[in-house]
Amino acid sequence: MKNFFIISSIILFLSCSTDLESLNVDQKNATSAPADAFFNLAVKNMSDLLSGITYGATANPWNSSRLLVQQISSVTYNEGTTYFIEFNWNSVYQNVLINLKKSTDVLENAKASSDPTLQNKLAILEIMQVYTYSKLVESFGNIPYSEALDVNNITPKYDDAETIYIDLLNRLSAAINNLDESQTSWKQDIMYSGNVTNWKKFGKSLQLQMGMRIVDSNLQLATKTITEAIPGVFSSNEDNAKLLHLSSPPNTAELWTDLAVGNRKDYVGAKPFVNLLNALKDPRKTVYFQPVNGEYVGSPSGLVVNYNNYSKFGEIFYQPTTPVIFLDYASVEFFLAEAAERNIGSVNDPEAHYNAAIKASFEYYGVGESIDVYLAQQEVAYATASGSWQQKIATQKWLALFNQSPEGYTEWRRMDYPTLNAPPDSFINTVPVRFRYPISEQTLNSENYQSAASAIGGDLMTSKLFWDKN
Amino acid sequence: MKKTNLKITLIVFLLASFLKIQAYPTPDNNLFTFYMEKVSVEKVFSQIEETSKYRFLFDSSEGSFKKQVTINIENKNIFDVLSVLLKDIDISYSIKGRQVILIKEHIKSPKAFQNNLKTETQVVQQSVSGTVLDNLGQPMPGTNVLEKGTKNGTLTDFDGNFSIVVAEDAVLIVSYLGFKTKEVAVNSQKNINISLEEDSQQLSEVVVTAMGISREKKSLGYATQEVSGENVNNVPTDNVVNALSGKVAGVQIKTNTNLGGSSNVVIRGNTSLTGNNQALFVVDGVPINNSNFNSNTQQTGGGGFDYGNLASDINPNDIKSINILKGAAATALFGSRATNGAIIITTKNGAGAKNNPTVTINSSATVGFIDKSTWPKFQYEYGTGYGPLYGPNRNNFFNQRDVNGDGVQDLVTPATAYGSYGGPFNPSLQVYQWDSFYPESANYLKPTPWEAPKDKLISFFETPTTLSNSVSIAGGSEAANYRISYTKFDQEGILPNSNISRDNIAITTSFNVTDKLKASASANYIKTDALGRNKTGNETGANAGNVIASMRKYWAMNVGIQELKEAYFTSGSSVDPFMGGTIDNPYWTLYENYQNDTRDRIFGNVSLKYDFADWLNIEGRVSLDTYSFFQEERMNEGSAGAVGLYVRNNINFTEMNYDFMVNFNKYVTNKLNISGVVGSNIRRNDFASIQASTNGGLVIPSLFSLSNSRNLPNAPEERLEKLGVDGVYGLASFGYDSTIYLDLTGRFDHSSTLPAQNSTYFYPSISTSFIFSNLIGDNKNFSFGKLRLNYAEVGSSAPANSLTDVLAKPTPFGAVPLYGVNSTKNNELLMPESTRSFEAGLELGLFENKLHIDMSLYKTNSKDQIMPVAISTATGYSSKYVNAGEIENKGVEVAISGTVVSSKIFTWDVNLNWAKNKSEVISLFEGGTNLQLGAISGGVTINATVGEPYGTIQGRDFIYVDGQKLINQQTGEYERTTTSGNVIGNITPDWNGGISNSIKYKNISLSFLIDIQKGGDVFTTDIATGNRSGLYNYSVGLNDLGNPIRNSLIDGGGIILDGVAPNGTVNTVRTAMDTYRNAIGSIKSPNAAFVYDASYVKLREVSLRYTLPKIDFLDKTNIKSVRVGLVGSNLWIIHKNLPFSDPESGVSSGNLQGFQNGAYPLTRQVGLNVQLQF
Repeated sequence: MKNFFIISSIILFLSCSTDLESLNVDQKNATSAPADAFFNLAVKNMSDLLSGITYGATANPWNSSRLLVQQISSVTYNEGTTYFIEFNWNSVYQNVLINLKKSTDVLENAKASSDPTLQNKLAILEIMQVYTYSKLVESFGNIPYSEALDVNNITPKYDDAETIYIDLLNRLSAAINNLDESQTSWKQDIMYSGNVTNWKKFGKSLQLQMGMRIVDSNLQLATKTITEAIPGVFSSNEDNAKLLHLSSPPNTAELWTDLAVGNRKDYVGAKPFVNLLNALKDPRKTVYFQPVNGEYVGSPSGLVVNYNNYSKFGEIFYQPTTPVIFLDYASVEFFLAEAAERNIGSVNDPEAHYNAAIKASFEYYGVGESIDVYLAQQEVAYATASGSWQQKIATQKWLALFNQSPEGYTEWRRMDYPTLNAPPDSFINTVPVRFRYPISEQTLNSENYQSAASAIGGDLMTSKLFWDKN
Repeated sequence: MKKTNLKITLIVFLLASFLKIQAYPTPDNNLFTFYMEKVSVEKVFSQIEETSKYRFLFDSSEGSFKKQVTINIENKNIFDVLSVLLKDIDISYSIKGRQVILIKEHIKSPKAFQNNLKTETQVVQQSVSGTVLDNLGQPMPGTNVLEKGTKNGTLTDFDGNFSIVVAEDAVLIVSYLGFKTKEVAVNSQKNINISLEEDSQQLSEVVVTAMGISREKKSLGYATQEVSGENVNNVPTDNVVNALSGKVAGVQIKTNTNLGGSSNVVIRGNTSLTGNNQALFVVDGVPINNSNFNSNTQQTGGGGFDYGNLASDINPNDIKSINILKGAAATALFGSRATNGAIIITTKNGAGAKNNPTVTINSSATVGFIDKSTWPKFQYEYGTGYGPLYGPNRNNFFNQRDVNGDGVQDLVTPATAYGSYGGPFNPSLQVYQWDSFYPESANYLKPTPWEAPKDKLISFFETPTTLSNSVSIAGGSEAANYRISYTKFDQEGILPNSNISRDNIAITTSFNVTDKLKASASANYIKTDALGRNKTGNETGANAGNVIASMRKYWAMNVGIQELKEAYFTSGSSVDPFMGGTIDNPYWTLYENYQNDTRDRIFGNVSLKYDFADWLNIEGRVSLDTYSFFQEERMNEGSAGAVGLYVRNNINFTEMNYDFMVNFNKYVTNKLNISGVVGSNIRRNDFASIQASTNGGLVIPSLFSLSNSRNLPNAPEERLEKLGVDGVYGLASFGYDSTIYLDLTGRFDHSSTLPAQNSTYFYPSISTSFIFSNLIGDNKNFSFGKLRLNYAEVGSSAPANSLTDVLAKPTPFGAVPLYGVNSTKNNELLMPESTRSFEAGLELGLFENKLHIDMSLYKTNSKDQIMPVAISTATGYSSKYVNAGEIENKGVEVAISGTVVSSKIFTWDVNLNWAKNKSEVISLFEGGTNLQLGAISGGVTINATVGEPYGTIQGRDFIYVDGQKLINQQTGEYERTTTSGNVIGNITPDWNGGISNSIKYKNISLSFLIDIQKGGDVFTTDIATGNRSGLYNYSVGLNDLGNPIRNSLIDGGGIILDGVAPNGTVNTVRTAMDTYRNAIGSIKSPNAAFVYDASYVKLREVSLRYTLPKIDFLDKTNIKSVRVGLVGSNLWIIHKNLPFSDPESGVSSGNLQGFQNGAYPLTRQVGLNVQLQF
């Protein structure tokens, strides 16, 4: 009798128990998706990283750039302006790079389909990866690269920054060559709508930018790279690599989200930047900022001041759709001016390129009609402006790269103009020239972190990176 | 037959003993078979008592009972047994229900059965009548009333009434099984009401254990502790969890101070590093879901509503008893879900009520008063501002502007400041303040004197009230019984526009279909409606808006709360900024940005039990717990720093359990009993939710619907999780000579959430109970002694859907779909977790059981934990599911209960619980030494750190020189570490304890509970930020020089912090206290400065009850008993070290404890309770 019940209960149990695992299926979430979806998300996420702003202590690598390069100051909370900052690259690897890799994996797994657009798509993914990695190297120095993005290796080693950079240049060159303008590419592409020619120009312009970045550290490679790039770079603002955001959250411009949605009263123009705009009677100030009692007033960095007394961001930045620029024509012209000065790539007439760069910036911000008056000013005109050519170009780049602060900050570090000073009571008494590694790496990837830190001369904000020679 | 040293052999088959679901089995079915050689008659009685429900009442001084007998019985009923046993003894007996009354016979002729015992004594007689009530005031039918020293006795009738003729100076012995026997002197009284107290010490106590199996407590090899229903109903509560605080050793309760808030219940420490550590709740065999639906942001203090823990649906009024199963051995049969211990609740039923229904009405009303020791002492001397930073020269406390256009600069408050480092109040200053700028204001465009507001902040709070009304009817017959009840619970919170109401409907019934087939069922319906649950955590940020946080952290002290009330009600707007600029008027927040939710829940079961033979039965049971939970959250257009928002969340949960059990109980030899259970459990959980919200604001303000979204709403977020566990288990229990017991259990689980190759796993337990007092023999001072030992393993599976990777689906970019890789990497190779536990225990009954001591020692190791561990984000992921880590919990528990005084009219009982749990994180993942459990504000984190107890608080620490705090000799500020990874506290208390006293004098009973926690730390963002903002009383006044602290250093202000210079000499450098960037606030102080000891001693509960004596009036109204009581809870925090708030206050239940952000004050509840019985 007893056995009967035991046996029957086990039979009952087993009959219910088969295929129990089939319950454990997430019926509401996808396990696979088309490659475009990952690619576009990566582009959108990168846009957010490049354009956001925070006053706080923890920043993604770039959303304190506006404060570091002293275009903007925060009025109440000054961790950001006084360098009490921890940087965090999580969003770069997790939101951008892994999705670019995932998109690549999806395409490569489907290679058998012999899609004629496949090669272009892969090349575009390469360009975006090179773009993203170059920004990381320019921010931190040595980073996890060859062993990155592999969840089975949870302690990836850090590669030498220059070695990565050279590899990126090779990848970029190969990717540009793989772009076939006779074929189409992504059906859905939020940056260039799948236009291969545009992507090629972006690739070339990126090549120019990266080549110029290493001009002080590796002139030979820089020369080769710039020379290779120049024939295909941007030729007008129409070519700009930018993402036009939508009016509906959450696909709005990140700066709008940070400024307008929270209704925070934190950010105003920084004194050195606004003062220079005022001194040069730069009409872009009316776009960049809002006046206070008819005046454009910048706040001293790192001090607590009354928000209402200083110029806040201009009206266009209080629009959700304001585009985020990845790389623009003005930058390209500034680089060409520099190439001309350096006699690289058969470019000449630096003044013409200098003027074209400023004009591109003016036109982009809708003040193109004032360009001639502006350029005629003694302190602007290439011939008469004070200082070395580096100083002239760097100063105008600083003004032009207002809403491209990550690039503005990198170029300020490379060109060392204009002179910026650390606010009083700052974490370090000079303006940082490097981002520190994320704190989490100290505990989660300790050995590799330690060796990387010692390889670059310490995990400090004062450790100059390999391309930053002066 | 082998001889043993105890010379006693007894075999009893007791049909109902395997599964004592029915509380009072019919004794008539008992057939005895035993053989005993040369034992005393007394010994035979006690053996019958142990193996049956019969209880013997006799005068043990009577020599006849010492007589040695040899008796051989086979399948005989009690009458036959007694006939044989008393054959040659001049004792007569009477059997009343289960009571066997034995009286020395003068006429030697034992009769088979006597209905009435007639007195033969010849003294002055009188008639006495009265009623016997239990401690709830319910009448007790069938109670024995015996005149002491005689065989004169009677039984109470169904209404508990008795009438007996006794000697004038007689003493009545009143006894009932499970209650303490009471002696009452007649003293010529005609009418005596007697109330009996439950005997919780009774050693043959039957308790409900895992899977609903009833066991004799003495046979258990593991610790359990029971709390009576009355004890959880001392004071009306909205959450049954709160009622357990301080009452059970080893159960750590953390109650919340917010309306309907979640309470944390952890038994014997946290065994899971990242998973659920809450105890399992089981009501009448139905596992009750105790989730909380608080968001991650809410649980880290980021802001959001506390939706409570769902065990709060259980109606305290329906509870008969709660048994706490503490260790893994106790819960092994439940499987992994009870690794954290189980709270087994048995509800009241109709058994024992017989065919005379009892109607009980119970009403309570309480009001609350803020405990002022849990509310800050604010300064009312300085108003809003960051310091003298304003005006054209940045040296004034006010902005200057020509407001009225008279060409003269006017003073305007810096109303965008957060905090009160502004100007000192000076009524002669005329200042344009916040209320000068909204048109509806009486002060519109008018300056007002710069002075403290008329009303203090505390006037914001409303008087909380609680009303609880319940009615129940219980009744039945021999073959069936029922109980139905209805409870209405209403609570008004301390915040305006906040209340919770709950309706509980319950029915339980059981009946005998045939002699062998018994059916039972219970059903509970609960409807909970809440409006304005309290926002916790931050004052600003996405979905934040905790008005208490803005008061404790940033308030502008020149702003009167009643003025804000008027501003909101006259203007209908938030009138921002009155401070800061991103903080709304509290009244706006509560009336415009409120939430509401409603929950409909049904739980219950049906079961059938069939007796195959007297030693074998089978039982099938289906139980169900299901609810739908609808939540709505709002943010109206016009809120500071936010666009309008409406969020709705629909949650549906169902758990089904199908249980099938075979129970057996057999004596295989005359000493060895084997009993046990073989069973299977099939469990299926379904969870589904859909959350939708508006996007980008509301088109029409105050219209909270999805269709009113300004932009196209994003796709709703859907979740669907299914989970199944199939288990087969067995329990074999060996009892030898009623002295040694050995339990073996094993359970196979097949879990849906693990990969197929690892999804079936087995875990065993062994436990023993040794009643060594049986070997020692009778001793008045040492009445009971038992040793327990056990070892158990429990396996656990993974959360649903944690094997396969799925993609994140962000809102499409216009028409372009987006998909992304999730930040957590799932793991397709997970294995079951394992928990191993050892436990030893000792139970002692001393001084005739007036003192009862129960001690336990345990050690639990939980390893191979399934958890997401943080990994280098350069992998593209932030975390990865792994099997890793081990945590150990060791502890001691002591429960002592004793009777201090026990006299006829006065009794005093004391219960003491004490438990110390020491946890240690042994290892984490791959050599990692720290696992962050959550980041709270200011860079402070809660962590599991190797080598430390669970829950380290980490942040910036002081820098110490020889144990003294180092002070910067330029600024006078504390030096602090640059890193935030310093252990600055731990959330785990050193020990918890409770002392309850129950005192009875005649009809009056007084009980009170003192609840104690020693140690554990709490980090308070409130004080960190409150100091930064200059809100508290110690930020004003005079310093050691006699100057105002708030003066600049040049003007002799500032304070000297306690600490040393680098050379170790006492610090003498003064630090400025004139701005928000002061040395004692969150900006300059290390986090460690805001870590406080969370110890407390609380007078948790007090009840004073009076049972009305029997009066004629009541008889006419059919009222059988009336009891009135004065009750109170949280009346007094006798001791604490945390200023300005309740150390227990937190934001949510769960693993993240030990911090406060916007803590709600504690309310003292005082009320009246009336219970009527018909």
